[in-house]
Amino acid sequence: MKRVAVGSLLLLLIAGACKRETETAVNANAANKVSTRTARLYFEAPEMLLVSESRALALPESPAAALPLIVAELMKGPAGGPLLRLWPEDTVVRGAYLVPGGTAIVDLGGATLSAGWQVGSHHELMAIYSLVQTVTVNLREARQVRILVNGSAAETLGGHVSAVRSLRPMPGLVHPSSR
Amino acid sequence: MKRFLLFGSLSVLAVSVVLAQTSGRGVLRTDSGDHPFTYVEQAGHTYVSATEVVAALGGEMALDAGGYRITLQGVTAGFGSDSRYGVVRDDLIEMPVAPMLIDGNPFVPWQFFQGFLSKAFALDVTWEASGKLMTLRPQQREAVDVQVSVGNVQGISKIVLTLSAPAEYSVARGQAVYAVRFETPIRAPFSDQAYEDPHVARIRFSGNELRIHLTAPDIVSDVYRLDDPPRIVLDFRKGTPGVPLPGGETPATPLRPREVPGIQTIVIDPGHGGKEVGAVGPNGLMEKDINLAVARKLANVLSRRLGTRVVLTRDDDSVVSLDQRTALANQYSADLFLSVHMNAAVVRGAQGSETYFLSLEASDELARKAAETENASAASGSSADLNLILWDLAQQAYLDESSRFAQTIQESMNAATGVANRGVKQAPFKVLVGATMPAALVEVGFITNPEEESKLQSDGFQNLMVEALASAIERYKTEYETRIGVIQPAAAPAAASANNTETSGATASPQGATEPE
Repeated sequence: MKRVAVGSLLLLLIAGACKRETETAVNANAANKVSTRTARLYFEAPEMLLVSESRALALPESPAAALPLIVAELMKGPAGGPLLRLWPEDTVVRGAYLVPGGTAIVDLGGATLSAGWQVGSHHELMAIYSLVQTVTVNLREARQVRILVNGSAAETLGGHVSAVRSLRPMPGLVHPSSR
Repeated sequence: MKRFLLFGSLSVLAVSVVLAQTSGRGVLRTDSGDHPFTYVEQAGHTYVSATEVVAALGGEMALDAGGYRITLQGVTAGFGSDSRYGVVRDDLIEMPVAPMLIDGNPFVPWQFFQGFLSKAFALDVTWEASGKLMTLRPQQREAVDVQVSVGNVQGISKIVLTLSAPAEYSVARGQAVYAVRFETPIRAPFSDQAYEDPHVARIRFSGNELRIHLTAPDIVSDVYRLDDPPRIVLDFRKGTPGVPLPGGETPATPLRPREVPGIQTIVIDPGHGGKEVGAVGPNGLMEKDINLAVARKLANVLSRRLGTRVVLTRDDDSVVSLDQRTALANQYSADLFLSVHMNAAVVRGAQGSETYFLSLEASDELARKAAETENASAASGSSADLNLILWDLAQQAYLDESSRFAQTIQESMNAATGVANRGVKQAPFKVLVGATMPAALVEVGFITNPEEESKLQSDGFQNLMVEALASAIERYKTEYETRIGVIQPAAAPAAASANNTETSGATASPQGATEPE
């Protein structure tokens, strides 16, 4: 067994020696400290406006790392009570990224969105802006949200709301108590 | 202990293989010469020092909240260290892997610069791994095949140029001749061909240009673009020229006045169609079917009552893209655009009608981008982005009138039907974006509410809705034409004079256009 171990180490040394050029170490992003924070997730209320539900989440301090977790939590739907789920249950969060200029890119997938969501204007509008509102309220670094479907830009998700540009919050869709 | 030693050494080896990097000096070759920069190879990907490449290009880079922001010749781009998407203006740059930080310095996959520089400056960027050479050069464009068809339908001669790939072009008008000039090389199907057509005498190709020789000098053309496949359509007729579309005759000018004042043409857009069924009611009623039924009835009533041309964007159960709906309205030089939809909500019992016009917030942002793009286009010589932005801005000039139009629609719906009033709202609805006329989208009722679903499929309720919409359009037409002086206030007919609920009679033509009797 010792031989195997020594052999492995030798291989490692040889591999290192074969590099002719400078070797640098990856400075992968510093480990994110995770703490429990309260996120505000927006869903539709019976008054047909967006209302926030507060939920305690273990979130990394890095906004970029927290973003996909917050979006995934939104997609789980409301915990209960009068608030209503807006996104299809099969929606998958493929990725969510924060890029300069205050843009959060949210890449969604799942059977319903992939097939073309058959939905009405109000429902589509509220779903999209529940995402925009949730992201921008919880991450001050994000001012607007660009939605992708399966990694690509989509004209719309359900035939109404333009998704070809980044979207900013629409306070008029949010109940005054949750703004 | 042995096990521990073995596990430890294997782990170190595995980590080492994953993180193994090779770095060195590469060369960035531009018009201004060669510039050295640092590259790193890891896991089959080549990363370049963003700081050094940006500096070599004469740009600036700064740390931003979401990552790094680059400014180069007035164009802003950026990337984050956790995302394989970067941005340039509001467009995305896709990279094979996310950038990384090495000793605090950002390294991006070389493809970031490929996306950035091609989108912003029409430059090709290549990476030669053997020579560690990154080269920038103006984009080499492949020749585009052009197919030509000429036909005459109801007095309009339609030339369709079908392209093998999207291409930039401009259209110039001379004495009895139109010239379509492509900015990319083209392969022509013939050099010269004559036609037996009332308006088109001959088409000649020369280099990257084709010339359409007309039979008379007073023939005018509407030029517009269709996608999938890419096509340029030129409609020749005697009459009022239409408003060009993005990619068409020079940059489209949304404010271009129509030659005949007043509301002459109304486009009614039945939402969805074909496989895009829209919302579905609890008993299976499909939104696309009710939209079409209401739109057809409305077109008939309007053409009888107002003496205007009424055009449907679809007159059957077909898929029509959102851009094509607006493009059709622009092609017809329509003076009014109304998209008809049925609503849906997750709230049980949601009811009532609401009317939308385009959200101003989106337009403000686009106005800024237009200025930014205009500068960039001037620098790069590319007008494609500018045309796209102008398309996005088309509705902005009409927002005040669109607001009035939406208000009139909503008031009429409330008065005539007694359904719950959900008011006039603004939203970034795609179908309204490119319209160069007052435009609104009406949500007649909630198909997801079983009670409203039942009402929406009844002829009686549909006729009531149609009457409300027709009255609103008539009232708006009267008020608008009074405002612009076409109708003298004293002579203005009473908006409510016609209470005719007739919905039968004139039949839409195969093109969806209903001419006045």
